[in-house]
Amino acid sequence: MTGPILSLRGITKSYGQGNALDRLLGRDTRFVALDGVSLEIARGDVVGIVGESGSGKSTLASIAVGLTKPTSGEVLLDGEPLSALMRDHGGPWRRRIQMAFQDSSSALNPRKSVSRCLTETLALRGVPKAEREAEALAMLTLVGLGAELAPRLPHELSGGQRQRVGLARALAMKPDILIADEPVSSLDVSLQAQVINLLSRLTRELGLTLLFISHDLALVRTLCSRIIVMRKGAIVEQGPCLDVLDHPTHTYTQLLIAAVPKGIKGRRQHAAAAQIASPISTARESAG
Amino acid sequence: MSAPLLSIEGLRVGFRNASGGLVEAVRGIDFSVEPGEAVGVVGESGSGKSLSMLAVMRLLGSPARTTGGRVMFDGRDLLSIDEARMRAIRGRDIAMVFQDPQSSLNPALTIGRQITDVVRAHRRVSGTEARRIAAETLERVGIRDAGKRLDAYPHEFSGGMRQRALIAMAIACRPRLLIADEPTTALDVTVQAQIVDLIAELRRDLGIAVIFISHNLQLVAEIVDRVVVMYGGKVVEDGPVEAIEREPRHPYTGLLQACVPSLTGPVGPLVTIEGSPPRLGRMPQGCPFSPRCPRAESRCETQMPPLVVDFDQRFACWRPL
Repeated sequence: MTGPILSLRGITKSYGQGNALDRLLGRDTRFVALDGVSLEIARGDVVGIVGESGSGKSTLASIAVGLTKPTSGEVLLDGEPLSALMRDHGGPWRRRIQMAFQDSSSALNPRKSVSRCLTETLALRGVPKAEREAEALAMLTLVGLGAELAPRLPHELSGGQRQRVGLARALAMKPDILIADEPVSSLDVSLQAQVINLLSRLTRELGLTLLFISHDLALVRTLCSRIIVMRKGAIVEQGPCLDVLDHPTHTYTQLLIAAVPKGIKGRRQHAAAAQIASPISTARESAG
Repeated sequence: MSAPLLSIEGLRVGFRNASGGLVEAVRGIDFSVEPGEAVGVVGESGSGKSLSMLAVMRLLGSPARTTGGRVMFDGRDLLSIDEARMRAIRGRDIAMVFQDPQSSLNPALTIGRQITDVVRAHRRVSGTEARRIAAETLERVGIRDAGKRLDAYPHEFSGGMRQRALIAMAIACRPRLLIADEPTTALDVTVQAQIVDLIAELRRDLGIAVIFISHNLQLVAEIVDRVVVMYGGKVVEDGPVEAIEREPRHPYTGLLQACVPSLTGPVGPLVTIEGSPPRLGRMPQGCPFSPRCPRAESRCETQMPPLVVDFDQRFACWRPL
């Protein structure tokens, strides 16, 4: 099959914010989180989606996995509309697109051990009971964790270990597409590097299609082949990762690049970045 | 040379565990801050960086407590003065800004009230005067229309504005030392850059000394003069930021620097630090970093290396880079 594995067509998502009076007077007080976003992801693509809070990147992810319904527009999984697939609630499509969440401490059930968390997921995929234990251990090995962690509860793990368990759980479904929403932003720099290398290895070894949502451009540069820059619910720039980061054309992309910490070298650049930053930040902050 | 503003000498912080034994998380650290100087304290979670700063402020919550050392500020040992004296210093001479601006502000009080409370706790001024100072300070940290914004509640501010408001509370009494504990971790990169610039600017214009705690060496290097690297409750290296960035001597510092990817240069697998930081109560006998260190030899596992002074850099390593 040659078509895109995932396509989003004219996705708009707005949330009602108005009170009764606003509705009565016909005032439009909706908050538009996504404003007609279209994109296509090819099989095996590793795509970074960057932008600040409020840019709509997490809403996009949530719509792509079917957790949130778009106000308008359509998500196609291998050419089939997700809205049609979703009528079969637990259908096979669910397995094909999985998500790893940002906050590993709230994404895992605090009362379930690592092994139970994984075997239950494997049961959903229809793995026979006798094979689940072994398969769960294989998943742990895949994400670089030892078998000794299997009986532990989430609070007995470090942040990096929990994040890997979240990944193992998503991968246990043998997905074609993995969406990782800020998977490393709560981790120390040393652990970030471990998880990024892991994701990079998994995309190569499993041929996984990955949507990596992040606000860290340097991490996206390391991991992704394509980058999509979002701002206020719209895509402002996209293209091959190195091209966009080396020659950004949109001011907002330039601003994001200028904001990346660069050590001593960063001192002078900051002053320059502040000049570009002010109009945007003022708009953002007075809105917030 | 003038006396340092703050001098931490052999500071130790520990916890009593369930069986009554003492578990130490900060195991004898020394460093000082000159007036007006900016010092970065870096290390992974669990290195003891936040605990030692809370100990300096005497804000440790039970069961953590200071188990040794001195904290000299203005010729007095902060660890031995009475609580009333300490309260007068906290917020007036030394102020602290925390990681999460959301939980550091009282959601039920206006921003203005929270800043004027700080002012009136330390200075005998009228309500009107306190409000004027609050508005001036809020303006100073880059919040436009500060006079009106005083009546706003924290939820009406964005994350970046809340952190600015907290910085305003911290500098309202013109402290001589500002301790910022991961002040930008909860913020977007662009807002992070603005807050870092603000702290640099306040330091330059008001002459406030700064201790900036972070796990990101690259970020810290943008505003500090000197870096203190902590690991396993010890200072493993410190020195001028240029020297640390150009020529780190402790393998941990080198790895901490290398594992942050850059926006330039070739793309490849990232450098990682294998394993995880030592758990409390299970500190290795020798160098705390030895179990994860690619350069470790047998001596590293059994003997703690002393801090060696090399010109203006100090490091604790048997096999330095």
